Amino acid sequence: MAVSVPAPTLRRVFWRGLLLQAAWNRRGMQNLGFAYAIEPALRVLYPDPALRREALRRHLATFNCHPYMAAAIVGGAIHHEEKVAAGEEPAGAPLKYKEVLQGPLAAVGDGFFWAGLRPFFGALGAVGTLLFGWPALLAAVVAYNAIQLWLRWTFFSAGYRSGDAVVERISALSLPRWAGRLRDAGAALAFAGAALLALAARASDGWGALAVSLLSFGGGWWALSRGARLMPCAYGAMLFGALAGTVLARLGGGP
Amino acid sequence: MDYLIVALVAGLAAVERKGFLQAMLSRPVALAPFTGLALGDLHGGLMLGPPLELLWLGAVNLGAALPPQEALGAAAIAGGAVLAGRALGTGVTPAVACLTLALVGTLATLGRTADRAIEEWNVRLAGRADARVAQGELRAAARANLQGLVLPFAVSSCSRPSPPRRRRCSCPPPCGGSPGRSGRSRSAGRRSPGSPPPPAPGPSGPRGASGSSPPSWHSPSSRPAC
Repeated sequence: MAVSVPAPTLRRVFWRGLLLQAAWNRRGMQNLGFAYAIEPALRVLYPDPALRREALRRHLATFNCHPYMAAAIVGGAIHHEEKVAAGEEPAGAPLKYKEVLQGPLAAVGDGFFWAGLRPFFGALGAVGTLLFGWPALLAAVVAYNAIQLWLRWTFFSAGYRSGDAVVERISALSLPRWAGRLRDAGAALAFAGAALLALAARASDGWGALAVSLLSFGGGWWALSRGARLMPCAYGAMLFGALAGTVLARLGGGP
Repeated sequence: MDYLIVALVAGLAAVERKGFLQAMLSRPVALAPFTGLALGDLHGGLMLGPPLELLWLGAVNLGAALPPQEALGAAAIAGGAVLAGRALGTGVTPAVACLTLALVGTLATLGRTADRAIEEWNVRLAGRADARVAQGELRAAARANLQGLVLPFAVSSCSRPSPPRRRRCSCPPPCGGSPGRSGRSRSAGRRSPGSPPPPAPGPSGPRGASGSSPPSWHSPSSRPAC
């Protein structure tokens, strides 16, 4: 007779999974977060303290994944723990599942969420703020969170229900293709944001300010594309702006 | 009080950024307006959000590689600019924003160093959890995860700009916070006429060079008054 984890416990595990990186450390990385997340499920599955301790210990092994995609692995690990508790699988099965999936899913998650979706919504929020003020910003943040929380829950329940087959479920979403599109759109939005900032400088301080800010943007882009560090570039741009502003003020006979 | 608010916002942002939820609330585009709102100047925060977001658009935590602490940077810049703008009586102008960025922007880089130290420190938490499991205290072992939230909060909330608060601690009560404010408004009188276009905070260069650490971003002239 197989024991299955009740739905409230699953919700609890998902909630705890949001704290996956709370104690990110150099040795085990997200191991503490993973053990913390899955602990309520283990409590249900292993009434025997010795077995439960053994189960928690194996989930304290080194683990690192993308914090959103890890929801799928937490779900899948519960799937396998149910089978281990029922005696259908050896005790090493959940650990193997985690080790096999963490690398590929981390790569997909980093590419899609961190390098695609979030910069896109960040640039969208920036452009929206410049054009429409705070309502647009609020809309961008709410949309981003609706998408990411929905995907996290989808990953989690897919992992729990289908175990190993979660790979096909995730690949059906073709996240890398979306990541490419979102990156292109995000780059266009960042360009639009920079242009809007330059135009705002022109509106408040005249054509000289537009020229200075365009030169700063162009120089900064050039330096960054050559592999320069961000903060020195920003300081260089500000120094340049200050100098140019002083020169312009002298030429214009300003105060 | 205002500095305590900035501390609270910076600390919460540091927790949200890595430890919990990661719902974009600690990205500069959302955090700068939020800091402004908490200090009662939403408009100033909204002005800072977009440029800071574009500046740190690529600051993402990929694998074990650490980006600059953009949340601490954004909270410190937004909080500092709003408070400086209020003290100057001008609100957040581009010149004030540039000056604040130049003076406290390096906190983002320092924040990365702090993040790395925190990750080293957290190894102890992992060791403690292992020990608890060996003793059979499983729930306590799992809860060691939550203790990891304390340090990012503390580090971020202690390292935002806080000059008047520190000065108040070191001087007798009658001084209060007022000498600092009067010193600031005096420097305002000197500064505001000579700064024409936005990226030209005229006297910022020499002052930025003389005050190397973030807490010294007020005019040093107010210090002898205490």
